[in-house]
Amino acid sequence: MDLEAIASKALAGARIDRAEALELYRRAPTPRLGRLADHVRAHKHPDRIVTYIVDRNVNYTNICVAKCNFCAFYRSVGSSEGYVLGFEELFRKIDETIAVGGAQLLLQGGHNPDLPLAWYEDLFRAVKQRYPAFKLHALSPPEVIHLSRLSQLPVPAVIDRLIAAGLDSVPGGGAEILVDRVRRLLHCYGKATADEWLAVMRHAHRAGLRTTATMMYGTVETDEERIEHLLRLRELQDETGGFTAFITWSYQPANTELGGTEATGVDYLRTLAIARIVLDNFDNLQASWVTQGGKVGQLSLAYGANDMGSVMIEENVVRAAGASYCMDEVEIVRNVEDAGFIPKRRNMHYEILGDPIFRDRDVPRMLELATARAAGDTHVPDELADYEARSRAGKQLRVIPNPETAAPRTCSAGTPPPRSAH
Amino acid sequence: MTITEQELTSLAASHDIISLGAIADGLRRQRHGTNATFVRVAEIAADPSAPIAIAPAAGEARIVGAPPTRAAAADRVAQVAASANGVAVSGFSLADLEELAAREGVTLRALLEQLRAAGLEIVSEAPIDRLRDARRSIEEVNIAGLALARVTIHQPQSTDPMSQLKTVAELQRAVAVIRAFAPLPRRVNPAVPTTGYEDIRRVALARIVADNVPSIQVDWSLYGPKLAQVALTVGADDVDGVSADDDVSQGYRRSPLEEIRRNIHAAGYEPVQRTGRWDVLRAVDELTTQDERSR
Ligand code: SF4
Repeated sequence: MDLEAIASKALAGARIDRAEALELYRRAPTPRLGRLADHVRAHKHPDRIVTYIVDRNVNYTNICVAKCNFCAFYRSVGSSEGYVLGFEELFRKIDETIAVGGAQLLLQGGHNPDLPLAWYEDLFRAVKQRYPAFKLHALSPPEVIHLSRLSQLPVPAVIDRLIAAGLDSVPGGGAEILVDRVRRLLHCYGKATADEWLAVMRHAHRAGLRTTATMMYGTVETDEERIEHLLRLRELQDETGGFTAFITWSYQPANTELGGTEATGVDYLRTLAIARIVLDNFDNLQASWVTQGGKVGQLSLAYGANDMGSVMIEENVVRAAGASYCMDEVEIVRNVEDAGFIPKRRNMHYEILGDPIFRDRDVPRMLELATARAAGDTHVPDELADYEARSRAGKQLRVIPNPETAAPRTCSAGTPPPRSAH
Repeated sequence: MTITEQELTSLAASHDIISLGAIADGLRRQRHGTNATFVRVAEIAADPSAPIAIAPAAGEARIVGAPPTRAAAADRVAQVAASANGVAVSGFSLADLEELAAREGVTLRALLEQLRAAGLEIVSEAPIDRLRDARRSIEEVNIAGLALARVTIHQPQSTDPMSQLKTVAELQRAVAVIRAFAPLPRRVNPAVPTTGYEDIRRVALARIVADNVPSIQVDWSLYGPKLAQVALTVGADDVDGVSADDDVSQGYRRSPLEEIRRNIHAAGYEPVQRTGRWDVLRAVDELTTQDERSR
């Protein structure tokens, strides 16, 4: 197959097929691939605007029954390192987010059997009541499926209830690679098959929500399977048009059961570039500086990305797997401008909100991302007592008196019971 | 490929780093084909009381840090040379040696000759922006019978790298002994680190401007695998500072040798391990296969 013919096709704005995508991905020299992706980016965004969002990436619980073997973040039910954030803690995080100009939480967590659908509904309602304009970009497809199983309600009904409670949009996490062979090897077939992940997104789009789509590459998949993933997303986007953006990142191996090594920086740039070329019906591609670091994150803007993602404020999942990069708004803007682009703040729908906040008013510099909780903080939110626990550990812990309040202790699985409890 | 001064100026000002990188890569391939060399370095502190550990995989035993006195420098070189077991002994910044010679009232040549007599083969670096008289000092290194590992830049002068790069090219026209040039600054302001674009532009321009220097080098430990790997695609052909420790505690695939091999391959080049003397040790794929057999 002639690389130049494929390149000409992409340059002319024609759609490339599976075989052509694979050929480009495998054989095109990296600068060639970058130039093609940059051409597609420039065609879609001729104004040279590069966007970013100020939001906070909060993980409400790390307790998870899915046990994906590539995940360094989760803790098993009953683990002394497990946690569930309380409503008050989440409100504090929202206050801090608003203080630095943020207007959204990216809220995701483990599949905690002791958090029923009602907990999410009450949380969303409470957030919307206190902060009516604040947005909830929450619950990736596998979390929705988990809630569907837990509540024995069909996925569309779960989505409808979450929307009624205040859900604004759905993050595209948990996609990994949308090929079931890979999902079985990664122990994430159980949490959602490829079809199930796509079905949740289809329902969400039909219900009027916009969502993102992601791809985690660099575990056990082949090049063909990466392309297959992109094609499945492209197909659904043709059908619904509901995806706002695509984000890819490399598997972070530290502290995971799967282990192995991380894909290289050049792999990342090539993968980003091929995604920009194949996903001709996606407007926005984010740079994953959280996994690649600020430098390769910035270089992503030459390889097809038009968005710097989030000024995150907080990050827990990638950090657990060994990577911890931080870029505050000042740093993101500096990198965007240094690359010759115009930085603009956006919301989840990629509507432009304005110029950098720090140019209007003083915002404290943020040289380190916050974590879900301070190390050693094992307190258990009291309101968990109001929700039925499913796991034995959860049930047991919810009847232990809380020494601080003398009320029944309301732990899901976050803290091992005191000896006297046995 | 000839690039006019005007083209160079517009390339340096452009944000099109892919086109710039592609030009630099073309020049790099003319010189080095698809080979990307790297050297594994055992670093040893200049402090005479610090331990000396030279891993068997080292291609260079490098004394790092400024020596307090001439005698201490010579003693340290002798200690390291005695433990080096044939590995090339390098050490010191030429700028520190200039200062030391001035402080002790001896000529730089006398100091360099003393270090050579103690067992030094290579001066580790010549930071052009710290040297009092770059041309003369580099010539003294050569006359004293030593090699110079690389010319470096200590700190960026401004965001425009051209003047420093042109200085290196002019210097090489005068001395002709610069084997490698590491254009990325050794020291950056942590509050305002250099960006990826700046680094990549600097590497690519270095390859184009310093076209009389054989190798453009990037430091693995200082700049990290991701940036160093991308640098290989825009004009760099040599990687410095790969650890000599065969740490396999995190698994064989995460050992330094395997990591550099994987990164060079993924960048589209062939990894070739060299020594501090620029001797090719053996093709890395051959080495990996042998190691795998013996595991
Ligand atoms: S990736 Fe998500 S679903 Fe899988 S184990 Fe981690 S927290 Fe659970």
